[in-house]
Amino acid sequence: MKNVKVLLSALLVLVMLLGTTAALAEGYSVDVLEVKIWDNNQLAGLQQIADEWTAQSGVKVNIQVVDWGNYWTLLEAGASGGDMPDVFWMHSNNAEMYMNAGKLLDLTDYIANSEVVNLENYYQGITDLYSKDGKNYAVAKDHDTIALLYNKAIFDQYGVEYPTDDWTWEDYKAAAEKITEASGGEVYGGACNTGNNQDTFYNIIYDFGGYVISDDKKTSGWNDPNTLKAFEFMATLFDNAWAPQQMLAENGKDRLFLNKKIAMDTEGSWMISQFYNDDNHDDYAWAMLPYEDVNGNGQCDEGERVSIYNGLGWAASADVKDPAAAWSLIEWFSSKEMQLKQSELGVTMAGYIGCSDAFMNAFPGMDISAFLKMETEGTLVFRPYSKYTSRWEDQATSDLVTVWNDASTMNDVLNRMAGDMNALLAQE
Amino acid sequence: MATTKRKMTPSQKSQAKWGLAFVAPTMIGLIVLNFYPIFNTVYQSFFKTGDFGMGNIFVGLQNYVTVLKGGEFWSSLLNTFKYALIEVPFSVAFALLLAVFLNRKIACRGFYRTVFFLPMVAAPAAIAMVWRFLYNQQFGLINNVFHSTTAWISDPKIAWISLGVIGVWSVVGYNMILLIAGLQEIPHDYYEAAEIDGATGIKQFFRITIPLLSPTIFFIVQTRIIGALQQFDLIFMMMDRSNPALPKTQTVVYYFYVNAFQYNNRGLGAAIVLCMLVLIMMITWVLQKSEKYWVFYN
Repeated sequence: MKNVKVLLSALLVLVMLLGTTAALAEGYSVDVLEVKIWDNNQLAGLQQIADEWTAQSGVKVNIQVVDWGNYWTLLEAGASGGDMPDVFWMHSNNAEMYMNAGKLLDLTDYIANSEVVNLENYYQGITDLYSKDGKNYAVAKDHDTIALLYNKAIFDQYGVEYPTDDWTWEDYKAAAEKITEASGGEVYGGACNTGNNQDTFYNIIYDFGGYVISDDKKTSGWNDPNTLKAFEFMATLFDNAWAPQQMLAENGKDRLFLNKKIAMDTEGSWMISQFYNDDNHDDYAWAMLPYEDVNGNGQCDEGERVSIYNGLGWAASADVKDPAAAWSLIEWFSSKEMQLKQSELGVTMAGYIGCSDAFMNAFPGMDISAFLKMETEGTLVFRPYSKYTSRWEDQATSDLVTVWNDASTMNDVLNRMAGDMNALLAQE
Repeated sequence: MATTKRKMTPSQKSQAKWGLAFVAPTMIGLIVLNFYPIFNTVYQSFFKTGDFGMGNIFVGLQNYVTVLKGGEFWSSLLNTFKYALIEVPFSVAFALLLAVFLNRKIACRGFYRTVFFLPMVAAPAAIAMVWRFLYNQQFGLINNVFHSTTAWISDPKIAWISLGVIGVWSVVGYNMILLIAGLQEIPHDYYEAAEIDGATGIKQFFRITIPLLSPTIFFIVQTRIIGALQQFDLIFMMMDRSNPALPKTQTVVYYFYVNAFQYNNRGLGAAIVLCMLVLIMMITWVLQKSEKYWVFYN
């Protein structure tokens, strides 16, 4: 018995020694990297990609999922207390706060010396977002676009033509109203809640030539004349085309769509798997977002069909134990091969330009090419953000409730929102 | 013996040492987890707080001015009081009725007591999720059963009542258990004497039960008022940011959470909770003063 114990402990020591030597062989001083993300749908694919890196580096990668709300609480507590995960996702809502405070590892030199990462290959808006004063703090992990999802069965039932890639917002409105009226209010044409900014009404604002925040992040666009035009158009959707706001306050529009309460839904590419995995997915199809013919020449020109896009970044903690290992993992995730693999596995579209085609084939039986067409035929606009995005964005979600329920308040509310937002931006 | 300043004997010394050693864990816990955060909150309330606790800028009373001048604090306060106005009286009244019935020898008494107490055992977040489903306008159980289309939690006129109902339901069992304990303290002789004198059951209830239960009722009312004024999780779990009824239901603690954590404005958040703390202290003081007029200790 005693011998067995001795033997076992000897074995254990041996294994541990082997472990360290394996890690040391690559010159890394750690045997495991802690990675945190917030999307459970992406875990399996990313772990697979990370395991390939482990196979050659000998450093294990432990990816943990924390839901969106807790993710930021946790990360902030970690940043304040000096105990952040080694490698993690960054998002436009919070990036500037972390960069300003020096909580993210400065990747500038690593990128400059890298043969794999050349920032020109990644979406410019995402790279800009994660850089400050000429320094880079994260590399684009992915990007997303928006497309129009519709339920063919509902269109068939009420004899309405399917959405096409040539639709204007007026066509969208006409079809939506037809469905609402034909069903006697049982099914609504579409839906948009006050919080559906990136996936719905921001796109409409930019289609009409309006904006939400100026490029220098100092001025609000809520009271811009073109923004106002977009809202005036949306007000015509509140009555018959869109489901009542109260209905949306209790059920997200994705849920209403899955329960056949709405016929059309504008959704982001990060939502595809939810619809693909639904029992009725044979009824679902995607088209490009409608456009707004601002110049009235009867065709879609530059800037008339906008998809708001956003992209996560791979970042590392400023006090990571082994910066070289952390960078090596980020470089691996960002490499062209792994960005392609991320698309193939259906995790997300790539942050590397031109690597997203494979993603279109990751959902056999469902044509999602509309998401890619949105960027080849439409115009990409980066999701509006500032240092404290949620202060004015969440406030808008609350303030706009009044407008949605009583469109006559629109001018007053938007003007007040612009004033509040300008005051907040001045404090940043 | 006459000297007041007496040196401690070695055994007393060692006793004192051990005494201190035994209370130390609690004391350290209180200091680290309660006192330090309280003082830190007071400190933060005078600053425009920087990110990650760095770069705080002293702004004096600015945060307090923002809180007290802004309409949102006062409307949240009104909402909080409206919630308390439903939760406290109804949960105490129902609990009292239940306690009296379940203190009698009826069949399955233990079962009923357990059933009413169960909400207290469930996590508040779980309770909120279940009620959210029950209340849901489109797919909810209540509207499905009654074929109605009432927007229970998104109609600003009734949402506060719907939320109050959940509050009552959640705490009624806890209040009941405390009241049953109180009832069992009342000597049976009083009721026998009252019966001989010809007092009816209702008279007995108001003349014997309620006065003798008043210490327990006082305790419950006081703790429930404080609890109701701190209501947060229910609103947080049930109401989305886009809910039209949110301005009519958001409580002070919810208002604090949004500012301190969602908007990352810790200084303002600290000022909000301190205003609330002062208010709760004032209410507790008034309650304590009122004690001698309606609470009987025998």
